[in-house]
Amino acid sequence: MPEDLAEIYRSTYRSLVRFLYRKVWDAERAEDLAQEAFARALVHKPENARGWLFIVAANMARDEARKAARERRHLTLLKSEPEALHTEPEDQIDAETRRERVRTALDLLTPRDREALLLWDAGMSYDEIAGQTGLARGAIGTTLSRARRRLVEAYDAGSEGQHVARG
Amino acid sequence: MTQEARDNMSHVDDGTLHAYLDGELPPVERARLEAHVAECAACRTRLEEERALIERASGLLGLAQPPERLAPPLHQLRRPRLAWRLRVPLTWAATVVLALGIGYYAGNERVAGIASAPEGRVANSAVLDSSTTLDRRANDALAYSAGERRQLVTTTRPPAQAARQKQAAPEPQANVDGSVVRSQLDSGAAASGVVTFQPRAALRLPAAPAPQPATPPSRALQEVTVQPGIVVNDLASARGRLVATQWPIIRRGPARDILGAEPVGIPGLAVRSIRRSPTGQVVLVEQAIDSATVIQLFQERVEADQLAPLQYRRSDSARMPADVRGFAWGTERLARFIGGVRVEISGPLSADSLNRLLEQVKPIGP
Repeated sequence: MPEDLAEIYRSTYRSLVRFLYRKVWDAERAEDLAQEAFARALVHKPENARGWLFIVAANMARDEARKAARERRHLTLLKSEPEALHTEPEDQIDAETRRERVRTALDLLTPRDREALLLWDAGMSYDEIAGQTGLARGAIGTTLSRARRRLVEAYDAGSEGQHVARG
Repeated sequence: MTQEARDNMSHVDDGTLHAYLDGELPPVERARLEAHVAECAACRTRLEEERALIERASGLLGLAQPPERLAPPLHQLRRPRLAWRLRVPLTWAATVVLALGIGYYAGNERVAGIASAPEGRVANSAVLDSSTTLDRRANDALAYSAGERRQLVTTTRPPAQAARQKQAAPEPQANVDGSVVRSQLDSGAAASGVVTFQPRAALRLPAAPAPQPATPPSRALQEVTVQPGIVVNDLASARGRLVATQWPIIRRGPARDILGAEPVGIPGLAVRSIRRSPTGQVVLVEQAIDSATVIQLFQERVEADQLAPLQYRRSDSARMPADVRGFAWGTERLARFIGGVRVEISGPLSADSLNRLLEQVKPIGP
């Protein structure tokens, strides 16, 4: 196993999970996808492993979204799924609500703005984001400023009117 | 700074401010911006506003965090989901066969007197490194009504074997299918250095098989329609029973000893059996969704330095299927780490369903 990949795994795994989580919105799926991305990196040994991982992960997340509808059909299989988890303390519910609002707000961003923001949050530099998104490096700041502003605005709007339609 | 320069800088755009605050502004621009902000109160205000905005946005993203969980060791990662889209039709087809309930396993039983008629079509599909052979046989045990058309299921075999199978088929010989498959898997297992158990498939062979035109083995078909009286060689559905005959049933205690933890299962589903592999390293928990659908959970203990990295690079599929590699036809295999245990799920359901089920597995209570 290449040493540098082991190092990247240590430093980037959580970021990649977080990045994926904000795309698939399922912690375990995000972990599975992140692990799969690294497993693929073990096989492919890409040169720029970090950037490669995020590209692969983004592609997998996109496939995941396409499958989401199909997956919902199969949920009928799982009627036995315990519902007991919903007896959570108040602050837990609050956290869940806020998380949903963030999700809604993120969904309202343009794909490019969202991608730049999530990559930045995953610890990528402007250069790396430029490489990932195809944006010019000089445009990253503008993109991020717009993404941040819209995220905050959408979140606040969602908090005022509780029933903002989900994208 | 000259008046002109100040004018030029009076419209520091948001992007530049964010790049500055992100620490991503090149040194020259950074110096220029700082010089300007030092003299321009409006821009200082904006800078602070943007700083607050960045913190706010970052804080919002922080509300959407997955729970912190330990990452499994890098070298234990696998690629469980490769080529899902290719496999899904296979899975679906397997489900169809299970539903039809055709073909069955008969242990070591051999049925002599194979038909001399040429076999049906042989089709290969390009699923990863294996291919799919469509093997059909007339079966008078299962009489479809005349004119009825059925969909068939595929079983996976190496392409070369498929060709061999096709060649061998017309020759009269006992249990040609079962024995051919067996030798294929034997050689495959030997090549990869693992022989844990071997398949035995028995067929009901036709008294008077319907002749079928042979088609090139390169046809990438997952399913075809066939004439009445033809039935699939249903090795896929026999798989569970294959394991069952070779893997001894054990109690939870010994399973716990093997895994170093409680065996896991899907809550709410009856546990049919707990078994161990012949080598005693893998625990298999079988659970029934209904009478026709058995979910298998293969479980083994994972330890940090258990495996050399090379073994992981060798193939996309997991090491665990060494035990069952030949039998994963048409069924998905997905894996997950739970504590110190690696769990693979297998069953005649779609990858999505299996994945959802895998997400639910928990230690089996007493």
